[in-house]
Amino acid sequence: MSELLDKFQLYFQFPFVRYALVVGVLIALCSSLLGVTLVLKRFSFIGDGLSHVAFGAMAVAAVVGLTNDMLLVMPVTIICAVLLLKTGQNAKIKGDASVAMISVGALAIGYLLMNLFPTSSNISADVCATLFGSTSILTLTQFEVWLSVALSAVVVIIFILFYNRIFAVTFDENFANSTGIKANAYNLLIAAVIAVVIVLAMNLVGSLLISALIIFPALSAMCVFKNFKAVTICSVCISIFCATAGILFSIIVSTPVGPTIVVADIAMFAVFRVIGAINSKRNKI
Amino acid sequence: MKKLIVTALVLTFIFTLAACSAEKSTVSNGEIDLDLTKLGSTMVYSEVYNMIYEPSKYIGKTVKMQGTFTVAYGDEPDSFYPAVLIADATACCSQGMEFVLKGEPTYPDAYPQRGVEVTVVGVFDTYLENGQLFCHLKNAEIVK
Repeated sequence: MSELLDKFQLYFQFPFVRYALVVGVLIALCSSLLGVTLVLKRFSFIGDGLSHVAFGAMAVAAVVGLTNDMLLVMPVTIICAVLLLKTGQNAKIKGDASVAMISVGALAIGYLLMNLFPTSSNISADVCATLFGSTSILTLTQFEVWLSVALSAVVVIIFILFYNRIFAVTFDENFANSTGIKANAYNLLIAAVIAVVIVLAMNLVGSLLISALIIFPALSAMCVFKNFKAVTICSVCISIFCATAGILFSIIVSTPVGPTIVVADIAMFAVFRVIGAINSKRNKI
Repeated sequence: MKKLIVTALVLTFIFTLAACSAEKSTVSNGEIDLDLTKLGSTMVYSEVYNMIYEPSKYIGKTVKMQGTFTVAYGDEPDSFYPAVLIADATACCSQGMEFVLKGEPTYPDAYPQRGVEVTVVGVFDTYLENGQLFCHLKNAEIVK
């Protein structure tokens, strides 16, 4: 045990480990806040679609030679998020189909561009790092840390300020409209916030695993709690715990950071599923 | 709930300030300023990435590192660049740290075979070649 503590003490001397924990906790907080809304709105897979859009935009930024790819990635992802949530209500192309279309389309275009116009000698490593996160959370700069703090603060403040309206829009848009809440405007707001969270989360787990960060904490909490507030709070706690445990475990045991966090989320889901089953049996008796 | 979240935000801000305040990372071991052999592979990969990304912070430090020995060849007939290769946990990315042995060793006699695990100690430095900045460990020794 003391050996493990010594190791932690040693590792915490490195700024990048502290940065990873700060950013990891913030991303986990933001993604779990939105996860509940997205799962309830039947948009669980939007995270996957938008992360592929961000991957495609990153490829374009690299080909164009942008030094700060955020300038392109963020607006493109926000526009696609808005389009996806809008076309979700369109009868011609249903929500799941449009997410799938944009998801595979952006992934294919991104990979094609990276191959046609390679910006480094090791394309497979670049692709692997973007898709699976690799060690990107452990290679953050101080600027990226502060950017994550600022964007996370914006996400949390928006969630606090518009909590009641987001709640209303999440459960029944027609009812929300009839009570004077502009459901479309709040859908746009949710879309923009989702895009911000996804671009941030790409650093943590990579674009292929973002959905896990959004879905698992919310679903785990829903197994045990039945009201929106309790589910949201529980989801945040689960997400932060899994992200912290995943990051610490991966640096100690030298496993890939992203998949380790996702496995922690899966394990937590299994635990909450069992607790939920026991609770429902007790209630029946 | 709002008070709770605002408190959490303030705490996060303070935590971030604390995390960003101390820039120094030293894992010293006697005469060695940065002993990477004490770290796990994920940590080593990340630290080597940082060394290459921000070399000015590491110039002059004596570094000990372990990895797979490899050699890259230049355009000139006798130019070669021995290096230690470090892979990340996903095994798709790797970082190479070039080193220059003490004295005037001849290649391949003074070097191990490619693919062999080596431990190298040397002083971190940068140099310019064809207008590009490169990093290496100078006055290096293969200790294992």
